[in-house]
This record gives sequence, C-alpha cells and structure tokens, in this order.
Amino acid sequence: MPSASFQRCRRCVMDTSDPEIVFDSDGVCNHCHFHDQIRSRYILPAGEREKALEQRIRRVKAEGRGKKYDCIIGLSGGVDSSYIALKVKELGLRPLAVHMDGGWNSELAVSNIENIVDRLGIDLFTNVVEWDEMRDLQLSFFRSGVPNCDIPQDHAIIAVLLKAANAFGVRTIVRGLNIATESVLPQAWGYSAIDLRHIKAIHKKYGQVKLKTFPTCSILELAYYYAFKKITYYDILNNLEYDKDKAKELITAELGWRDYGGKHHESLFTKFFQSYYLVKKFGFDKRLAHYSSLVLAGSMTRDQALVALEKPPYDDDRMHLELNFVANKMEIEVVELERIIASPPRRHTEFPSYKSLLFSDWATRIRKFLK
Amino acid sequence: MKPFRIIPFLLLENRRLVKTIHYRNPRYIGDPINAVRIFNEKEVDELALLDINAATAGINYEHIRKIVSEAFMPIAYGGGVQRLEDIRTLFQIGIEKVVIGTAAVESPELVSQASARFGSQSIVVSVDVKTDLWGNRRVFYANARRKLKEDAVAFAQRMVALGAGEIILNDVDREGSMKGMDLPLIRSMSQALAVPLVASGGAGSLGDLLDAWQSGGAHAVSAGSLFVYKGPLRAVLINYPQDSAVQAALSKRA
Repeated sequence: MPSASFQRCRRCVMDTSDPEIVFDSDGVCNHCHFHDQIRSRYILPAGEREKALEQRIRRVKAEGRGKKYDCIIGLSGGVDSSYIALKVKELGLRPLAVHMDGGWNSELAVSNIENIVDRLGIDLFTNVVEWDEMRDLQLSFFRSGVPNCDIPQDHAIIAVLLKAANAFGVRTIVRGLNIATESVLPQAWGYSAIDLRHIKAIHKKYGQVKLKTFPTCSILELAYYYAFKKITYYDILNNLEYDKDKAKELITAELGWRDYGGKHHESLFTKFFQSYYLVKKFGFDKRLAHYSSLVLAGSMTRDQALVALEKPPYDDDRMHLELNFVANKMEIEVVELERIIASPPRRHTEFPSYKSLLFSDWATRIRKFLK
Repeated sequence: MKPFRIIPFLLLENRRLVKTIHYRNPRYIGDPINAVRIFNEKEVDELALLDINAATAGINYEHIRKIVSEAFMPIAYGGGVQRLEDIRTLFQIGIEKVVIGTAAVESPELVSQASARFGSQSIVVSVDVKTDLWGNRRVFYANARRKLKEDAVAFAQRMVALGAGEIILNDVDREGSMKGMDLPLIRSMSQALAVPLVASGGAGSLGDLLDAWQSGGAHAVSAGSLFVYKGPLRAVLINYPQDSAVQAALSKRA
C-alpha cells in the first residue's frame, strides 16, 4: 500500500505494510537481520548438515524400536508435508501420517493425501473436527477483528499431532517449519496459535457453540508432553536441501502430487484468509513474507519477487465466488462477511492471552514483591 | 464410462456426516456439504443419503436442500419418509430418487401411490436384511429393530409389484464391516427381480464391488466405509475410484 512514508527493504521485499518494520542505515529491514541470525544458528554448513541429519535419524529409529511407528508426520497434502513424507520414507523411518480435517479440505488436498499414503505405504490417522465447533470458533475470530484467523486450524493441528504422538507412544514429530521458505513472518501480522487462553477468551466473547470435542492443548498439557513424555519436534527441512520448485517436481513425479496454486492453499479457508481477508482488512499481503523468505534463502531473486508481486494477490473476478463460498460454508450471509471485513481491525493484544497473563498488573506486582 | 453404477452411501445424523457399523455407534466423519463438494470433483455417478435420525426427528428439508444445491450428481434420499407429502417435498427440493424403508413395510400403499404419482423410476424401496436370534437372515425394519416374517426376496418382489422402480438391498450384518458382500443373497435377489438392484453392505474393496456386479448380478453397488475410510486405522479420507481404475480392474479379471 504505497503512501507518503512507504518504504521497501532493499534486500528482501518486505515493506511498511508491516507496522513494526525497522530499517537500518542501508535500508535493510529487521527481518533480514533476524533471518541471518537464525540461519547461522539452524542451518549447518554442508557436510555437518548431513551428519546432523544422520545422527538425528539414528536417534529417532532407536526411540522407535519395538514400536509400530518411529515418528509422526503431519500430512495436509501441501508441498512441505508431502515432501517430508517422501523424505522420511527414503531415510528408512516408519512414520504415522496424521491429518487434521477442519472441514475445509479441497479435493486436491484429499487426493494428494490418498496418493501419498498409497504410494509410500504409510498408515494414516485422522481427527475430524466437529464442523459446528470449528465453524463457530473461526467465526469468533472473524468477529473479533484480530488478524490471525487461522489460529483455530493451526491450534487444532498442534493438538492433534501431540495427542497422536502420545496415543501411539511416539516421541518425535517431524515438522515442516523451515528457514528456506518461511524465515520472514512479521509479528504484527499474527499471533501464536499455541495460546489456548487467547483462543478461549475470543471464543467466550464471540462464540455461540460450546467447544466439546475441539482438539486443544493447554500450557499444562504442553508441559506434560514435552517434559514428561519427552515428545520433541524435528524440523527436518532445515537439515535437508529444500528448494520448493525442486520439491514440487519431485513429489509430482514420485507421488502423483498435484499443485493447487498458492502456499497453504490446500485448505480452502487458509486460501481465502491469506489471499483475500488479510489483504483487504489489514493490508497484509502474506506473499511479501513468503517471497522475502525465498529471496533470503536464495531460491528467488529480488527482481523475480517484485515481478511476482505485480500480480494482484487475488483474482477480482473470482473473488465474489470465493466470498459466497466462504459465507455459505460458515452459514452466514455474504453481507455479514463483508461487514466483518469492513469493520475496524483489532490487535491480538486487546484480548487476554498467556502473554497478557505474564505481563498483567498483578504479575508485575508479584514480580516486584519477589524482588 | 463404468459399466455399472458405483454409489457412495452417506449417513446423516443431525446435519453431521457419520459412519456406523451395523447401523450402530455413529462416528463423526465430517461436514456433508464439504463431502459432497469433494465427491463432485471426483465425478461420482450418484449419491445415496440416509438420515438415521429422521424417523424420530423428522426430515430436515432445509439441510437436504442445501446439500442438493451443492451436488452435481443425482441424489437418492432415505430416512423418515412416511407420507406422499414428504416425497413431493423431497422432489421439489431437487432429490432425484426417494428411498422408502419402514413405511414400505407398515403402509405398502405408499409405494403404489408414490409410484403412480411420481413415476416408478424415482421410487426405491430399501430391503434391510439382518440375522435374527435363530440365525436366519430376515427383513428388518424400523431401524432394524422389528422383524418381518416374509422372505427377503418375496418381500422385494411384492414391492416391485406395488411399483418400486429399484430395490436397494442393505445388508445390516455386514454394514460397516468391510468384509465383503453376501454374493448368494445378492444373486438370488437380482435373479428374482425385474427392476435394478442396488447391493449395499460389506464392501471393503473395489474387488468386492466388482463381485457384486459380475457374480451377484447387481445393477449398481453402494458402499459407505469404502469411500470414506482409508487404511488400517480407518482414517477419514473421501475417495472414489476413477473410471480408469475400474476399467483396469475389470480388464485384469477378464
């Protein structure tokens, strides 16, 4: 959104649509500096990286001895998770694929998952979230006006993966988080999906349906899984060569995978939310963060990113169809969805959260008292 | 084109999609609207919807209308159909075929009236077969709680004589088991009937469906679990064989 004070980073493509962006004297933004920091910490030089991968795989296998599965992999049908499924099988692991069905699966996502588990011979476990509860929670987030309306789906995924790991006695969850394609993500554009206090606060204020079976994970459960059950995440893509285009080619050839367009568009909700809702209501274009990550990783040039950004984030002609689809699916009128989009944006910090609990008045008082 | 119809059989309970075993212990498997959308893209021949709650709660026309409005394929609906008026309303909201179950046993005149009014091709009678306490396979009705003395084939023939244009044979003993279909029963019924027979209950693979068609003589086959479950953990994943897969399986058998 160009304005008088518009500025774009000279190294990546992030701009002042991130309200918290800071530029150094060379015009390079804080995301680039952050990327350099975590990159040097998590991405090992060639040679060491292979060794780290081998070591970790050996450990995961050892932990899985005598059990049916060595690790859990989340499977959405998207690029990251499909590539991971292929890789963990190549590495000789016995994964259990876990899928959270939030009611927004596209046919492409479903058939990708089917092809993957068939061709790789992987067992699949699903948790289908009661649609009425998912719908009510997603609507609550829409009505609250906060930016990250994908928290309900993201939280359910985290909870389902952990519960599955616990139920099947598996200690490693192989995850798709990676520096190569998602190192840049402005804080102001979102908020952590792990925060159950935040979710409950927003649902209490705007929800109507009681959450009875919605998969949740509180801080206490999280502590139990991590500390007591010793469940850990393995961000395997950081230990692999990960180039999105090459990965796509590979999974298309090996797994009969089909492309569905944008990042995370395997969920029809996420597609609408990222390519329309965030842009329209907040002026946040997630492609900026995504392309910036790719530029910093060297798998896209800055010029290519700028050219790609020339294209509009969504197709104006098709958008009324998508609006209709989402409104229909959420069982509200289109005008109400439009009203939600037009209503003033709110910040996540306006609602209770674990973060606000930590920095609340009485917490400060206790801290002072303890000193 | 497939040489026979393959129909996903979906169970509804209060606007939720569920899957049962022997019509008991419904497990939630998703939002019917999204399921229908996925079946659309998979180019499904036809869908059968059965509302297991409608006999007590009444038919939820509004919800059925919504499902029908999303569907590209013809839909057969069953559950709670008792009066001519119900059938008329179902056709009005876009249902292609109406399945009569309990009412066909309790008030058979409904079958003849409906068939005379709306045409026999749109009136289907469901024959639910279950093993009774004495080990005999009998026709059951009223959510498989009440037993009919009449033989299943004789009952089906009587329904056809009244005007049923299609019979759906529901094997309650095998429903949800995925252990294979009762071919002798399917055969005896398909040989005795002059109208199309839809065989349902027990299919666990594409091969089972082909058996019911090739050696059972069914005109169409229907399955629930097979099209909503995947793998040993019964993961919920909607699937449907492509024409090419059916043809390939057929040519392998020939």
